Amino acid sequence: MYTTYKLTVASLKMFLRSRQALFFTLFMPLMIMLIFGYIGFDKPTSIDVGLVTHNPDAATAQFISQIKQLPTFAIHEGTLDEEKSQLDQGNRSVILDIPDTTIPMAKGEAAQPITAYTNAGKAAESEAVLSILNQAINQMTLAQAHVSPIVAVEQQEVNSHNLRYIEFLLPGLIALSIMQMSVFSVAFVFTQYKEKGTLKRLLATPMKPIQFVAANTITRLIVSVAQAAIFIIMGIILFHAHVIGSYFLLFFIVVLGTAMFLGLGYTISGLAKTTDSVPAISNLIVFPMLFLGGTFFSISQMPWWLQMIAKFLPLTFFSTALRDVWTKGSGIEDTGWNILAMVIWAAILIYLATVTFRFQEKDSA
Amino acid sequence: MASIIEVKDLVKKYGDFTAVNGVSFSVGKGETFGILGPNGAGKTTTLEIIEGLKRPSAGTVILDGKNVDKETDAVKEVIGVQLQAVTFFENLNLAELIDTFAALYGRKVDPMQLLTEVELTDKAKSQAKELSGGQRQRLSIAIGLVNEPKVLFLDEPTTGLDPQARRHLWDLIRAIKARGTTVVITTHYMDEAEVLCDRVAIMDHGKIIELSTPKKLIEELLSTGFSKPVLQQQANLEDVFLNLTGHALRE
Repeated sequence: MYTTYKLTVASLKMFLRSRQALFFTLFMPLMIMLIFGYIGFDKPTSIDVGLVTHNPDAATAQFISQIKQLPTFAIHEGTLDEEKSQLDQGNRSVILDIPDTTIPMAKGEAAQPITAYTNAGKAAESEAVLSILNQAINQMTLAQAHVSPIVAVEQQEVNSHNLRYIEFLLPGLIALSIMQMSVFSVAFVFTQYKEKGTLKRLLATPMKPIQFVAANTITRLIVSVAQAAIFIIMGIILFHAHVIGSYFLLFFIVVLGTAMFLGLGYTISGLAKTTDSVPAISNLIVFPMLFLGGTFFSISQMPWWLQMIAKFLPLTFFSTALRDVWTKGSGIEDTGWNILAMVIWAAILIYLATVTFRFQEKDSA
Repeated sequence: MASIIEVKDLVKKYGDFTAVNGVSFSVGKGETFGILGPNGAGKTTTLEIIEGLKRPSAGTVILDGKNVDKETDAVKEVIGVQLQAVTFFENLNLAELIDTFAALYGRKVDPMQLLTEVELTDKAKSQAKELSGGQRQRLSIAIGLVNEPKVLFLDEPTTGLDPQARRHLWDLIRAIKARGTTVVITTHYMDEAEVLCDRVAIMDHGKIIELSTPKKLIEELLSTGFSKPVLQQQANLEDVFLNLTGHALRE
């Protein structure tokens, strides 16, 4: 016990003093969280509209100022040629060329039509601009004719719980960074120990290999719980992403996920003959999961055949279980299938680790 | 002299290759025993079998009354080792390394005392990778001493060191021997064996071809009528080098 305890303390010190380990376990995921969190994929994006005006008469000028106030338009003013070249470069969805007498000042005066140049590549945005514009014109026409619309839509706001992107992202990011930490730190450290003779030196002492493995495993469990705690706290402070479900269940899933990926890490260090082959083998397994594991976007957005693969990845179960508890407040009865799948994956990976992982190369007597 | 190590008919095979081919010898308590031989002679393999790191294909090793192959852990408790080309943990300083290794024996030691013995006190807060070659070997020996071993194994401790560092390490080994610790050392420097060892075994191709005290071996050779072209030189180039650069350690 004393030996394992001291080894755990030593291994924790080594982990916390390793800049590389800290970069990948904390710094990088935090950067991702801040960048993606502040980009704000939730806000409706405004549509770039080029506005070309000349010497509008009073009524038309009023109409133009109304257009400028439309919230969904990002208005850029310029000459027709300037705006057209912007359109060519894809920076405008629509250009509106407004003649000076768009709105007839006196009865009987003919209205000049607005010319709209639309970007064929941004059909949806152009469509939206035109329909918003038409609506504005209709309203103005009705007002001028002193007629009120026959039907009115009354808006009522309901505060439903819409999942913000950051809330979707955070649980997935925790799962992802725990995967990275568990797989890479174990795979690298142990192949390095093997290659540099450290394990052999340890074997010349009465220490049991299981004590060393236990110390390293405990260290990473502690790190992963700390990692998750830091992300949760940051999420709450910076993005008000409060955990709805049970913290106990959340951390249980974190520990289970760590065990699962530590199994993978030990398996890889068992398979890798040299330190050089670690990144190759690890990335081959981990890299697809970065994108298919449901961290950055929901797997329901993928084509069906990809979903069939993505659905069964260990990271997918891990991030889904965390997300269920965090954002939906799911209990074990709701997300139990994900947890069961994680247990099965953990059993498989830990079994593989015991088969492949050796403290030293087999020495046949 | 009571023996502390008894090696009998030791064989180690790797497929068709026989690394150690029927080696027998015994080492007395408190003795400094050298295993000499060119690279690939089987020195390190022999040592690693005695240390319990490798299992013999045949033969037995009894160390301090225990069969190494059967009571490996009990043997590991009473030996200290310095292996060739070991990298210790990164991100731990020397004091922490010694503390951690002591814990592997369930012991608590004063790291500073061990570091004093090997003259590394001023490096207590450094990491192993910042040390020079000679300092690294001294650290390796300090770590080998954490369990106050009855037998200390040193595998080519001075390979790659400059003359000053080699002599400094010899002093350290003699100090350890003076405490009554048995030392088993491999080397391919004959001057080193002559200075340090009470007895030496000369190995080649997995076999011991001679075993005696350095003095006797030289006398035996001379008695066969062997003679070198005599050069009446009272010094060699190494003496010149040391005279010019001094005996003080450089690191």
